[in-house]
Amino acid sequence: MSAAVTIIMIEDDEGHARLIERNIRRSGVNNEIVPFTSGTAALRYLFGNDGSGLERKGDALLILLDLNLPDMGGIEILQRVKENKHLKSTPVVVLTTTDDSQEIKRCYELGCNVYITKPVNYESFANAIRQLGLFFSVIQVPPAAT
Amino acid sequence: MIFSSAKIQTTGTKRRGSLGQILLLAAGFLVLVGISALSVILVDRAREDNDWVVHTVEVENQISTLRLRIRTTESAARGYLLTDEQRFLDEYLAAAANVRSDIDKLIQLSGDNRVQIANASELRTPVEARLDEFAKAIGFAQRHDTAGGIELLRSSDSGRATERINDVASRMRAEEERLFAQRTQTADRTERFASIVTVAGSGLVVLLACISIFLVRRSIRARDQAEAQLRDANLNLEATVDERTADLREANNEIQRFAYIVSHDLRSPLVNIMGFTSELEELRNEIFKRIAALHAAASQNPALPAAARDTEPTLDAEDQQRLAYFSEALEFIKSSIAKMDRLISAILSLTREGRREFRPVRIDTRELIEAIVTTVAHQAAEGQAEIHIEPLPEITSDRLALEQIFSNLIDNALKYLKPGVPGKIFIRARTKLGYAIFEISDNGRGIDPKDHQRIFDLFRRAGPQDKPGQGIGLAHVRALVRRLGGTMSVTSELDQGSTFTVTLPINWNANRRNREP
Repeated sequence: MSAAVTIIMIEDDEGHARLIERNIRRSGVNNEIVPFTSGTAALRYLFGNDGSGLERKGDALLILLDLNLPDMGGIEILQRVKENKHLKSTPVVVLTTTDDSQEIKRCYELGCNVYITKPVNYESFANAIRQLGLFFSVIQVPPAAT
Repeated sequence: MIFSSAKIQTTGTKRRGSLGQILLLAAGFLVLVGISALSVILVDRAREDNDWVVHTVEVENQISTLRLRIRTTESAARGYLLTDEQRFLDEYLAAAANVRSDIDKLIQLSGDNRVQIANASELRTPVEARLDEFAKAIGFAQRHDTAGGIELLRSSDSGRATERINDVASRMRAEEERLFAQRTQTADRTERFASIVTVAGSGLVVLLACISIFLVRRSIRARDQAEAQLRDANLNLEATVDERTADLREANNEIQRFAYIVSHDLRSPLVNIMGFTSELEELRNEIFKRIAALHAAASQNPALPAAARDTEPTLDAEDQQRLAYFSEALEFIKSSIAKMDRLISAILSLTREGRREFRPVRIDTRELIEAIVTTVAHQAAEGQAEIHIEPLPEITSDRLALEQIFSNLIDNALKYLKPGVPGKIFIRARTKLGYAIFEISDNGRGIDPKDHQRIFDLFRRAGPQDKPGQGIGLAHVRALVRRLGGTMSVTSELDQGSTFTVTLPINWNANRRNREP
């Protein structure tokens, strides 16, 4: 992954965030990770104060999204990202505890690129994240459209 | 609850009412019996009284007859004396012969009355005297001494005898008249009494009838009222049942949502606990490796060859012990987390089952169960078990749900066989009133009756805990059966095998149970 790609991690559970970050790092991905613990803060970062998303124009982003956030549903964030003309090409990886088939289907319908259920088993978890890291290291991310 | 108390009250009144009616009827019947008996007695008495009246008349009649007879005798005797005709003689003889028998008859008739017997006997003497006179006079006449006969009659003291006869006769008559008056009065009294009794009795019966009509009407009114109440209650009951059903459904949904959210949210911290425990494990390995290395560095001669230093440094006994404790603690944490994860997953899958939409299709249950049996063939061979499938009906239901139900039950039957005893599992079914009743019976270890309820509870198991399992299967099966509109039960004794009975509707009724509000 090109050094310019920033990973936006929207995860309310700091423990999870830490574990994810650690395992991504272990897979050799050294890109900047910007963590957010609430949907509101993440949206402000992504869309700017005016909500247009113009601020992120030209940035290469990858979004790691948890669905269970305290202030809003992750699905809403996904929807807004995919509806925004600047951000819609940004890859979104949903990484969540929810394994409800309806939710998964809905996420893909809305344009989520990868859906991963967090396994409780840490080995599986670590493994999944590392695989994801490997995936990140080869993925090509387009810069946000102008 | 409100209605039932009203009902009880009504029943109480009704019972009292009917008891009253029975008493009234009994009273009426008794009165009727009393009147009848009294009437019989009184009629009998009246007849007797009348007999006595008639008797008096008869006695009087007899007295007249006697007097007439004496007169006839006298006149016949006289006629004979005057005319000397055989005709009068015959008449005299016939009349005289009857006078005595008349007296006898009179005595016999008045046998009930001593005064009259005395009187009648008293009659005998003057009558005999008269008859003697007549006989003598007739004797004269027969000797053709008519003048002598006449003389005899003339000279005789006939006046006195006749007077006495008249006197006694009138005394008797007076006596009889007195008796007549007395007896008539008695008869009248009896009759009056009889009519009073009849009238009073009839009145009483009519009164009782009126009361019982009143009571019947009252109880009819009470019954109508109770019926109306019952109708209302039924209507209300239906509404109440609907309301409660809606409440229950809502509560059930809420519980399911709750269980889903809770189990879901519990997972999140679990990921952390598990994750950081694993991180700790990693750290542990590194720390103890370092301790060992430092220890080795401190105690060993640095002059030793490099080859010796390359070998894995070992911990001393004390640190070995610490490492063991550390590892033990981490293992407990991890196994507990794994268990908790399994439980949470079970709850999640149960709630998910509870939310799944059923797709009813026509299913040949025999085919379905045969397919399940094929999948457990390996287990069956291990337990030396034979599974017999009898002809099973076709039903309309959800295929996945049926598969889960029967595979759980067959699985359990295979799992809990008696060790060393070849298993025999029978799957049979019968249909009854629109329901198919499936029975899965085995000759396994059985279930203590006190655990029959428990085995259907989530996370609860029975008997020796020597088989793997979470205690989810039967809870899941029962929940499914209920959602399919059926029921299930178990009959079993320890060591006697178990029979699980699943009752499912043959036709899919889109019943209210499955309609989510």
